Amino acid sequence: MAAVEAVTATGLVKRFEATTAVDGLDLVVGAGQVHGLLGANGAGKTTLLRLLFGLIAPDAGSITLLGRALGGPGSAALDHVAGFVEEPSFYPYLSGATNLALLAKLDGEVPAGLIDEVLERVGLTDRAKSRVGGYSTGMRQRLGIAAALLRTPRLLLLDEPTSGLDPAGARAVAALVRELAGQDVAVLLSSHQIGELEKVCDAYTVIRDGRVVWDGTAAQLVAQAPGSAYALHTSDDDRALQIAAAIPGVRAGRSPRGRLAVSVREGSLDALVLALGDARVAVRRLELLVSPLESMFFALSGDADDEGLEPHDLAERALARAGSDA
Amino acid sequence: MSAGDVTLPGSAAPRTPGRALDQRVFAAYQTELLKLSSQLAVRLLVLVCAIGPLAFSALLKVQSGTPADALFGTYVHASGFAVSLVVMGFAGAWGFPLIAGLVAGDQFASEDRHNTWKTILTRSCSLGELFTGKLLAAATFAVGMLLVAMLCSLLAGLILVGGHGLVDLSGNLQSGGRSLALTLASWALCVLPLLAYVSLAALFSVASRNGIVGVVGPIVIALATTLIDLIGKGVWVHLLLIGSGFGGMYGLFTAHPFLGPLVITSLASLVWIVGCIGAAWLILRRRDFLTGSAVRAPSWHAPLRVVAATTVVVAVLAVAGNLGPIGITSPRLDAAIGSAFNNASLLQQRLIGRIAPPGARLDVQPFCNRRGTRSEGPGDWLCNVYVYLPQLNAVPFQRTNVEYDVSVRYDGCYKAQSPPTFIGGPTMTDNRGRSVVNPLFVVYGCFNTL
Repeated sequence: MAAVEAVTATGLVKRFEATTAVDGLDLVVGAGQVHGLLGANGAGKTTLLRLLFGLIAPDAGSITLLGRALGGPGSAALDHVAGFVEEPSFYPYLSGATNLALLAKLDGEVPAGLIDEVLERVGLTDRAKSRVGGYSTGMRQRLGIAAALLRTPRLLLLDEPTSGLDPAGARAVAALVRELAGQDVAVLLSSHQIGELEKVCDAYTVIRDGRVVWDGTAAQLVAQAPGSAYALHTSDDDRALQIAAAIPGVRAGRSPRGRLAVSVREGSLDALVLALGDARVAVRRLELLVSPLESMFFALSGDADDEGLEPHDLAERALARAGSDA
Repeated sequence: MSAGDVTLPGSAAPRTPGRALDQRVFAAYQTELLKLSSQLAVRLLVLVCAIGPLAFSALLKVQSGTPADALFGTYVHASGFAVSLVVMGFAGAWGFPLIAGLVAGDQFASEDRHNTWKTILTRSCSLGELFTGKLLAAATFAVGMLLVAMLCSLLAGLILVGGHGLVDLSGNLQSGGRSLALTLASWALCVLPLLAYVSLAALFSVASRNGIVGVVGPIVIALATTLIDLIGKGVWVHLLLIGSGFGGMYGLFTAHPFLGPLVITSLASLVWIVGCIGAAWLILRRRDFLTGSAVRAPSWHAPLRVVAATTVVVAVLAVAGNLGPIGITSPRLDAAIGSAFNNASLLQQRLIGRIAPPGARLDVQPFCNRRGTRSEGPGDWLCNVYVYLPQLNAVPFQRTNVEYDVSVRYDGCYKAQSPPTFIGGPTMTDNRGRSVVNPLFVVYGCFNTL
């Protein structure tokens, strides 16, 4: 028997007065797949997640979650679907543990100790009895993840799950997502943190103005991406520039502060490094500035400033920013 | 956050799928009870319901004054049941709308304020189940507070004043047992109009998405209905107003109980309950659950619409106040005052040790006129009660005039007070030398306006 898709959205349309937030959008998330949802601000990511949670009704189209057609808010199709849209929200006058107990009550039977277990899982055991009103943004984010884990999810819909988390917390979320995926939990992640998505996603959907502009697996994305860009520091930058210019698929230049920026097509980086070695130019540091996903993202869905920029342009901009920060 | 050994929480004990509808509603109900019981305002209100009647009784105990304008008010030093009924009267005017506003007026709006609709609507309860659970929890708290107020007012009255019988609204002294039964029945009959206010508060909360409108709305409506009750002479609008049910039970306190207003006001309460809940549900199920920057209209749009709609409804009701037959008329008031005066006079005679057989009748002729306008409708009336007293000498009957200032309410209940020249002061000395309430100084009564 074929596996049931975790999410199947077909022809979704959602209008807000004169604005069409989602415009004929199709989306499929496979069972056990970690699927990244990418788009600039206002692209329609959060509206799409609201539609998937049944919080708003589509003007057209249909949604199936785990093989069940989605009705309105609180639909039975949301059983075993968990997550949050925008920042997780709780009752500020109740403690974190009480909030979870309340949500667990709405879900039905709760295995003994589950609330303590998920609180420990997200590192909130010490603050479990504190009122949520006193929680930081990161703590509320972690409580949101704990609330999602209470539901024995088979599909997680997460909107900016690492927002407000420190780097360690963000890494832990990424690890958690991968591990859940290993247990056949499908995850749809919306995030601006492209670097975070790259670590965990099997597939991506890029949306712009409410429409899907690219959809495919991570391997397809790397193959189709305009390229990636690096900051390069060598023992002889002038010589390195000359060598790079001779290699097909490689473009190099200097930033205003004199650092080397190199953009490469898929597979060209190896050729560049080998050529530098052959010319006895030592590579002292190679720092990824623009990943294939980022370059694809900016090519497809960037804002007006970034739209259509080549990886090299993006790399130079990143270098310039790094210089000004320094 | 731990990213160590991963076992999906709860995977060891998967939940039983397909909970029954009643289980889901009960779960929503339990969560709402928990939320309400955690709120400081609700806790304080429960405390006020418990302590308020005790404090009121204690305050009355240490002073000689009485809340004479309230029905049974002059008897608060004579009967503990009067204390409870006076508390009930105040609660009907202000307390119950406040309770309704606090338990139901913020229930739905707070989900918008805390941005938690999305949190609870992405669990395993539908919008309808959450809606039902919220309403049931609000009703439970409201009725619970009514019970607390009833028990505490009764206890306070019985402990501090005693369980003596009550002088009813026809001037007859009732037994302690009957007084207790009537008092309990009166409180019980407040449940329906209280739930009508709870439903209205829920409607305000859903429609305005604003807790202030939800909480204050029922109190403002109570004030508006009080004002509407002062104007207009027609029966229908007054009987159908949301708070009318709090006055329907007074017909039970008369010598010839009448149930018409009670039945109609109870039915009106039911209509309010169904109408408000129905409207709230229609609004709720049609809305999108947008939050934050995605909310289209500014936050003051919805409250403003509710305030505007409410103002229109109140204005229409005020204008329609003259619809239907006139309930307060001179003949009806004459008959009620005459009977109550007769019974109160006989009670007074018994208190001072004279024999007044049951059913005895004085020769009484009341003439009531409304001050400054046509003799109909609620407001201030002047009643001259002519009493023909038997004389021992040449003139067989001496006509004596007792003048009463009568304040008549829309529901036919009135308070008649006379200067002490003929009937004496507020208290008198009975045949055992005790100071007792003079039943003729202030006469309370009610008549059927239908």
